[in-house]
Amino acid sequence: MDKTRFIPSMFHRRLLLLLVCMCLMMMLLGAQLFRLSILENDKWLSDAEARLRQHAYLPTHRGRILDRNGNILALDKPSYDIAVEYDVITGRWPIRKAERQARREVGREDWKMLSKQGRQEEINARIPEWEASCERLWYLIMTLGEIDENELLTRCDAIKRKVKTQAEAYRKGKREREGITDDRPLTYSSEKIAHVILPQISDQVAFEFRKLEAQLPGMFEVKSTLRRVYPLMDNTVYLSRNSLPTPIRLDDVQEIHMTGVADHLIGAVRDTVWAEDMARRPFRGPDGKIDRGGYRHTDVVGSRGLERAYEDVLRGEVGVVEENLETAKKIVSVSKPGSDLTTTIDIHLQSRVQAILSPEFGLTRVQQWQLGWESYGRPRPGMLPLGSPLNAAAVVLEVSSGEIMAMVTMPTMAMGERMSKLQRDIVRPAVNRAYEALYPPGSIIKPMLLSAAVTEGELSLSESIECTGHFFAHSMAFARCWIYRDIYNFATHGSLEAEEALGRSCNMFFYTLADRLGMERLIDWYGRYGIGQPLNIGLDLESEFQAKYRNWFGRLPDVEKIRQFRLRGEIESATVFMGIGQGPITWTPLHAANAYATLARGGTIRDATIVMAGLSEARVINREDLNLKRSVVDAALEGLRQSVMESHGTGHHISFPGGLREPIINAEGVTIWAKTGTAQAPPLKHDDNGDGEISESEVIEHIDHAWFVGLVGPRNGTPLYAISVIVEYGGSGGRTAGPIANQIIRALQAEGYLPGHHLASPEESG
Amino acid sequence: MSGFLTSTKSRWIVPFSSRTQARGAMKSKINPVNVAWLCVIAAALLNLLGIMAIDTVPRPDSPDFAMKHFQFMIIGMLAAGLIALPHYRFLQRLTYLFMILVLGMLVFVLMKWVPDSIVHPRNGARRWITLPFTDFQPSELAKIAYVLALASYLRFRKNYRTMFGLLLPLFLTFIPMGLIVVEPDLGTAMVFLPTFFAVLIAAGAKHRHLLIVILIGLSLTPVMYTILNPYQQRRILAMFAQMRGDDQYKQTIGFQADRAKTLVGAGGFFGVGKQKAAALVHSNHLPEEHNDMVFAVICCRWGVLGALATWGLFLILIVGGLLTSAKCRDPFGRLVAVGLVSVLFSQMLVNTGMTIGLLPITGLTLPFISYGGSSLVVAWMMVGLLLNIALRRPGFTLRHSFEFDEPVDDEVSFRVGAWRMPGA
Repeated sequence: MDKTRFIPSMFHRRLLLLLVCMCLMMMLLGAQLFRLSILENDKWLSDAEARLRQHAYLPTHRGRILDRNGNILALDKPSYDIAVEYDVITGRWPIRKAERQARREVGREDWKMLSKQGRQEEINARIPEWEASCERLWYLIMTLGEIDENELLTRCDAIKRKVKTQAEAYRKGKREREGITDDRPLTYSSEKIAHVILPQISDQVAFEFRKLEAQLPGMFEVKSTLRRVYPLMDNTVYLSRNSLPTPIRLDDVQEIHMTGVADHLIGAVRDTVWAEDMARRPFRGPDGKIDRGGYRHTDVVGSRGLERAYEDVLRGEVGVVEENLETAKKIVSVSKPGSDLTTTIDIHLQSRVQAILSPEFGLTRVQQWQLGWESYGRPRPGMLPLGSPLNAAAVVLEVSSGEIMAMVTMPTMAMGERMSKLQRDIVRPAVNRAYEALYPPGSIIKPMLLSAAVTEGELSLSESIECTGHFFAHSMAFARCWIYRDIYNFATHGSLEAEEALGRSCNMFFYTLADRLGMERLIDWYGRYGIGQPLNIGLDLESEFQAKYRNWFGRLPDVEKIRQFRLRGEIESATVFMGIGQGPITWTPLHAANAYATLARGGTIRDATIVMAGLSEARVINREDLNLKRSVVDAALEGLRQSVMESHGTGHHISFPGGLREPIINAEGVTIWAKTGTAQAPPLKHDDNGDGEISESEVIEHIDHAWFVGLVGPRNGTPLYAISVIVEYGGSGGRTAGPIANQIIRALQAEGYLPGHHLASPEESG
Repeated sequence: MSGFLTSTKSRWIVPFSSRTQARGAMKSKINPVNVAWLCVIAAALLNLLGIMAIDTVPRPDSPDFAMKHFQFMIIGMLAAGLIALPHYRFLQRLTYLFMILVLGMLVFVLMKWVPDSIVHPRNGARRWITLPFTDFQPSELAKIAYVLALASYLRFRKNYRTMFGLLLPLFLTFIPMGLIVVEPDLGTAMVFLPTFFAVLIAAGAKHRHLLIVILIGLSLTPVMYTILNPYQQRRILAMFAQMRGDDQYKQTIGFQADRAKTLVGAGGFFGVGKQKAAALVHSNHLPEEHNDMVFAVICCRWGVLGALATWGLFLILIVGGLLTSAKCRDPFGRLVAVGLVSVLFSQMLVNTGMTIGLLPITGLTLPFISYGGSSLVVAWMMVGLLLNIALRRPGFTLRHSFEFDEPVDDEVSFRVGAWRMPGA
């Protein structure tokens, strides 16, 4: 063996090999370090420094929603909640405290020496004193919060149930996501925080609890929060009954309590932030930048109505306090409260109209005068029992501006919450009937058709058309005039000019006009009056659903449908039926009011709106002009006036047995241009026997929707407001919807929008 | 008769002679100036660096980890001194007993019936035995026991020159490894294979045998991957994704890796200094910042310089260990030194590798630097063992060991050694 050799043996060669391998591996590490620390230093340093800046957030508050007169419809109100620690609610708190106390008092070393049983004894000895604290807290909550023990237990149970389900879901998800198989405890944040037991307590009670915080530390919190409140949603209105139809007239004032005034419009907020919200507007973007108006988990989000449509206007921006942990320097940007939203609604008018539509007022119930009497005095039977409440909707629109002053749907969402499930399924209280529900227009479409036919040159205003009772020579039962029926002894209107034809609502006249115009021109004109067109009123529904549900805003036959009519030889009948607003045509009460407003404006088409100008810049105010001749508008208005103001008009009077007549509109000092409509409706489901189910025999067919749509202005003046009323399955438009329109006109007078004497109590305006 | 006498004599002589050999070895002169002091100095410097690194982030509401680390350093050095005193060949006799004891402890911590006061699970892992002054991890001790056992076994030629002789320890490796994986402590378990391999190389295993072992290892890798926990698999996937610059795991499974890389990268060449490093580490929420992730703190505070110092000191330690091995003439001592060096090296490699994003995150300490009582004391015991080996000047009886040959070259040495094998 050669001792002088540098590497004496295989063993040493192998050692050298190991050393070389190790050095190579360390060089690999060095290369990676070089990459991170030298080449990518800037990136990593800025990443790391970005986290040096810690952010705290200053709360903001949501903008208010105001009505056109500045009444507050929605606001954030500061309030106090009493929140109790979750451990206190579950009863684990005394045990935890006792254990901690025992450990501390026994001492760390001695504690280790104790047996399990010994420890438990030490703990048990200390539990009662902490339990006494809990008892005291619960007693205080019950006395100061004025709730009884059952209520307290219910609230505690609700919280426990909620947290338990959430925690289980969270743990299950986490275990699956991260492949945790052992039974290690996974903390869920809700189990570590306080939960609200007493919401919205008064300042006085909050103060009492604040004083107690020192005595009962760590058990509860007095949280000051902002709560969204809707001060006028539950409301009382006083209505005089002295102008109602005789059978329900009283020389008295009725007090009507309402829930959910304008709740479809104003909407609501939810305090759970959904993933969609986060995705739409994240608080922290993918690049780490903060959008101060973005969503965090603790935010409230507008869930319906204006609260949702104007979410970004209302929600405001939180303030940010950025603190650099290294330099302790703070940069404060103050919070920006959300902007107020002014609606065009007059909340008092809205309240009145809702009260008028309330079944307890009597007009939206089945009444005998709506059904009428036989000529020999026997009451005509109805399909629904007398007194049944009817769903209804009404819209009041200012003609010149298109501003919606009241838009009421019955029942309200708040009323719907008290319904049974079956009732809710039938009634669908969530639907805003005033602009989400589609109804066939019936006769109320006639003035639109008249203006179209004259403008298209298919009718001269001096021309008369003979009413023969039925349109098609070959069928006497098909496409007849409403008067050509057995109950009227198959009468006819005779020869009529345009105005009187409108006033008498002669179907024959308008079948003829529709036939002359033909399907294409008819559809074109109806479309220009808004049927099948979304109205950009300012609720987000349009933009969202426009693409998805093209038929959301009314229906007209499309090219394909027309082709089918032609193929089946039904084109003629479809056309003439559309002349009286039946057949393949639907619209909403809001569309009806808007179309009448368009007529009153001489053909200027303008979107109705629910928010005051300035908030939605993108809104198109005037879309198009129909360029109606003054003579055409005048003729149509004259026909509408006759319909209400002349004794031959369909909207003029209600007949009672013995030849007694009572005018439908009895408001004074105003002129009314209006049209009644009695439109064929789809079958009605009605739970006659109240067994909670709808059997086949409980589907009622052949009841009509009752329309009353018109314009109103001061006597001898111009039309100022368009009013649209529909009563679902109300039967006759004049007799059922007419008295409602009358009361709405009186409400406009009471609120000072129209001149006239209003007989009501002085305290009524609310 | 004579045959009987001869045989009795031979029966007597063999153990006797081996005893005298051992006694002679134990009584052999101490070599006070030796290369293992390099290891001691490097370890002490690393330990001080660790104390400084741990001290970077102030922790008002927890015990003073830096101080405790210093205390453990003293304890560790005392332990190293103690373990350096008896001749290592004496320790060799206790090897298998020691191994059995450690395996017993490894099984013990896994037993569910053991009360929580003795084995307290943390984050679902059962690794620690509670002792009055600190918690103790048997898996740390297992590293030493394993190295001793491996060296003890591989000093015999028939063991390292035959395929079967190599496969047996490979499978024996899986016993402590498996027990530690089940704890679970994948990081510590990962140290065993490189150590095994390094010792095999040093012991003089044939190249083709090594190749076969490597091939077996490689072919087992996909199998190993499938038996990993799903979260461990995801960690590996996340690591590769993060290497490609994919940020999707940043907030979930790749959080720790991302933050460690961020802080390493933020350090730059000179580091950001103590104040800023403290702020950065705190605000970046680096987990285990005084423990498994302490290297990130070093890189952040002292930059590339800090990392080079760490690696440089480790390199000195390794070179010292390998020189100890090279100077030693006794196969057991040689292999123990190589084994200990490999344990320390692999631990350093895995820990710093995962910190800078080259390896998946596992719970593994950086020797001497990471806070942790048993880890530090055991690391010092390894240094003590190295010192032990280097302190013994080889006696002449060991000059031609039966157990290990001093080969002139591979082929010749086999022939020369062949007739000397006792009862082979």
